[in-house]
Amino acid sequence: MIMQPVMEQLSLVEQFVDSAQKAVATVEVIDRTPAALCDAILRVAKDAQRILYSPPQELPSALFGEFAKDPRVLANATADELIHSAAGVTEAFAGVVRTGSVCVDISYQRTGMVSLLAPLQIAVVAAETIVPQPRDLFRADVLDGKGLTRDFVFVTGPSATADMGPLVRGVHGPHKLHIIVLR
Amino acid sequence: MAIPVNPVDISPRQVANKSDKKALLAAIRMTLGVQSPAVRRNTQTFNRNRYVATGMLADYNELKDRARQIKENAIANLPQLLEKLEASVNANGGHFYLAKTAAEANAYIRDVLLRHQAKLVVKGKSITSEETKLNHTLEAAGIKVAETDLAEFILQVADEQPSHIIAPALHYSRERITALFKRKFDTELPLDTGEELTKFAREKLREQFIAADAGISGANLIAADSGSIMLVESEGNIRMTTILPPVHIAIAGIEKVIPSRTDFGVFLELLPASGTGQPLTSYVSIIHPPLKAPTFAAPGKEPAREREFHMVLIDNGRSRMREDPVLREALYCIRCSACMNVCANFETVGGHAFGGETYSGGIGGSWEAGTGQLSNARFSELCTACSRCVPNCPVRIDIPWLNENLRQRMNQEQGSSPVKFLFGEMTGSAPGDSVAPLQKQFFGNYNTLGKWGTKFSSLANASLHLPGARSVMQGVFGVDRRRELPAFPGKTWEQLYRVENPAKQSAIKPGVVMLADVFTNYGAPERGMAAIRVLRAIGLDVALSSAMPDGRAAMSQGMMETARREARALAPMLRRYLDEGRKIVVLEPSVLAMLRFDFKHLLDGDDTQVLLAQNSFEPLEYLWMVAQEQGLDLAKVFPATKCSQGTRLFYHSHCQQRTCNSATQTIEVLRAAGFDVVTSSVECCGMAGSFGYKREYYDLSMAVGEDLFAQVRRADEEGGARTLVASGISCHEQLFAGMGRAVFHPAELLASLLE
Repeated sequence: MIMQPVMEQLSLVEQFVDSAQKAVATVEVIDRTPAALCDAILRVAKDAQRILYSPPQELPSALFGEFAKDPRVLANATADELIHSAAGVTEAFAGVVRTGSVCVDISYQRTGMVSLLAPLQIAVVAAETIVPQPRDLFRADVLDGKGLTRDFVFVTGPSATADMGPLVRGVHGPHKLHIIVLR
Repeated sequence: MAIPVNPVDISPRQVANKSDKKALLAAIRMTLGVQSPAVRRNTQTFNRNRYVATGMLADYNELKDRARQIKENAIANLPQLLEKLEASVNANGGHFYLAKTAAEANAYIRDVLLRHQAKLVVKGKSITSEETKLNHTLEAAGIKVAETDLAEFILQVADEQPSHIIAPALHYSRERITALFKRKFDTELPLDTGEELTKFAREKLREQFIAADAGISGANLIAADSGSIMLVESEGNIRMTTILPPVHIAIAGIEKVIPSRTDFGVFLELLPASGTGQPLTSYVSIIHPPLKAPTFAAPGKEPAREREFHMVLIDNGRSRMREDPVLREALYCIRCSACMNVCANFETVGGHAFGGETYSGGIGGSWEAGTGQLSNARFSELCTACSRCVPNCPVRIDIPWLNENLRQRMNQEQGSSPVKFLFGEMTGSAPGDSVAPLQKQFFGNYNTLGKWGTKFSSLANASLHLPGARSVMQGVFGVDRRRELPAFPGKTWEQLYRVENPAKQSAIKPGVVMLADVFTNYGAPERGMAAIRVLRAIGLDVALSSAMPDGRAAMSQGMMETARREARALAPMLRRYLDEGRKIVVLEPSVLAMLRFDFKHLLDGDDTQVLLAQNSFEPLEYLWMVAQEQGLDLAKVFPATKCSQGTRLFYHSHCQQRTCNSATQTIEVLRAAGFDVVTSSVECCGMAGSFGYKREYYDLSMAVGEDLFAQVRRADEEGGARTLVASGISCHEQLFAGMGRAVFHPAELLASLLE
């Protein structure tokens, strides 16, 4: 009886990972601890000399505490730093199973820029906020209706274009998307 | 207008406005000569991906119904919605401006920018601003405009109009982009891969994003209740445009407004799936600007104190479209591009031929006519009413119907002449349709042509071989002399039937009635007889109706009055058979589509239309239903091994047959009989009734056919030539023209297997 919801949640996460990979994102599922998160982010951004960071408004900021201590992390980047950093880290307040998308709120701080300007985008999403379909974000009874009031963007894989002939990933937006799912 | 003959001498801008038909013909030559391979590759990729993506939407049909309903309500309540939206935008702290004309919209935007002393604006993709020619106004005021969508960037460099609504430069191959950039930019870079080209453009545009004083975006949808806009993209340039500069201006047509943000969910899933064929594009922004986030200031620049947002909605003819029962349909369009990608003609030439100054494809004619002049919709002649767009439109717009009505209006605009009137009288045009050009009346009154031709068949057939006859046909009626004209049969289907059935069949016993459609009756009576034998072979009682025109030929020429008259005469005749308990079987798929779909327009309000739609079938579709119900072993009834043509077939189903969902059954039947069937995957053969016979469209028709011919040749590669089989009468002509070998109707093959 108690296991049932956990099982369902697990399978939702598994499906999410699968669709996000199909959308050419990289995904990992980790434990919800400051150490695990710090380790995961720094592993994927290991070559970055500067890492843009927009502190979360949903997840506890303590979770990002260990990561934020790294000297490469910039929580209050200047304009110059915004356009010359290799990675940008934000939370995502929702994930979407069918499309492998993450939803990033861009209405607070510099989240919009942090999630857009650096070549590597890292999004941290809590497993329980992953919903089945994109349309669920427009329901009042899903995630407390957050999708109905916020300014946000569905991010599905890295930026891409076919305008120059063949499909090219990495255009004006990030060239890579890495999603970290918190168990 | 002097238009050079050599394709490479024609620039797309020169032929953007096609109110003069010469421009349309020059544009076809230009696109076939230069753009066709890239257009084909790109549209056909979108087309394949769309089938996959919409197939993954479990409730695709329900979503379409819902989308249609939302748009119908929105357009019905548009004035109230605009008021509500204005209040929402103001409450958010933005500015709202409703422009009556393109000039008003441009002036407003220019003034906002001048007030901010803007020197550089970055633009996300906005086709609406192409409609208003915003860039001209801004540049004239000394404001530099940087197009940041890579396709729009290419067009800005090349000075061309969009050729596609979501991928405006899809007529450019990588090689042509390399050549263009090398010519226009001073660079030593090789630029000979997509990556290099993208990097080159990205670096140029990154500087512009950072330095921009303002950003201009379009809007895919706007919610009146909250002032929210939805922006769909993959490159990230729209996010840059809306997030970085302190001033954001969104420009859109008033038809983009829907009641509520809760409705976004429906369109969010339909739009990318129907367009590029992706479940979602890389970025879909949902914002109700001005954004609350802090502004960005380029290094060394003073940051703006706060963000400013302007929503500029344009009418520019849309209110008139709303009052027009035909053009109103176009306001439901969500601009996904499915109608273009699924269209065989569009796939071959793209929007520089099948399009006007801004809008292109099947839906484009209504938009050009609605926001400009009727004659700007001349290119909509390239819609052959193959109907493949209809089931693929996410808001269920009957696009061929719109184009047929535009055709009627353009016919009327030409005015009458004594010759046209006399010809109309002779051939049976309804009074209002005798203004149509001779070529249109010639093809539109096929029934009369067929009647004369078969009555005097030996004379008619011989006269076509007289010296000079084909020049006359080409000169007067525009029938291309390279086309083999089908010989008129000595006996019509009706006459053959009477010979085979000297005693009248029992009219009481329920069974089926085959409609003696005019195309089969006068063009291929032996196919009709074969179908009757095949249906009888599984024990059905089959009667043949009298031959009557169904309106298809007339409608395709924009002769709507004639079409209505024909439909209204045919419907009660068929109704009597339905009342007897018979089902209706129609051999020619384009006529079946009339009964299933088009009669709803022609018999407005008549319940006969619903009955006809529900009770009419393609012959092998019906045969398959009966075989399934009765568990018939078709291999016994139709043993394929006995076929003198062999068992290896290449089958091409008809475009309208596929729209009717009556194509797969033929394949099932043939396979059940023991045939080895390879099928075509093209949307349409390119003949499309009279279209391929017309002198001005012959080259295009054959170019479209090339995809089909190539598929036949590929199928032939292994194990030698396959027997060609097709269900539509024009597909037969086209396949014969392209492959130079006999083409059979499936019923003919099956009939040949009967004892």
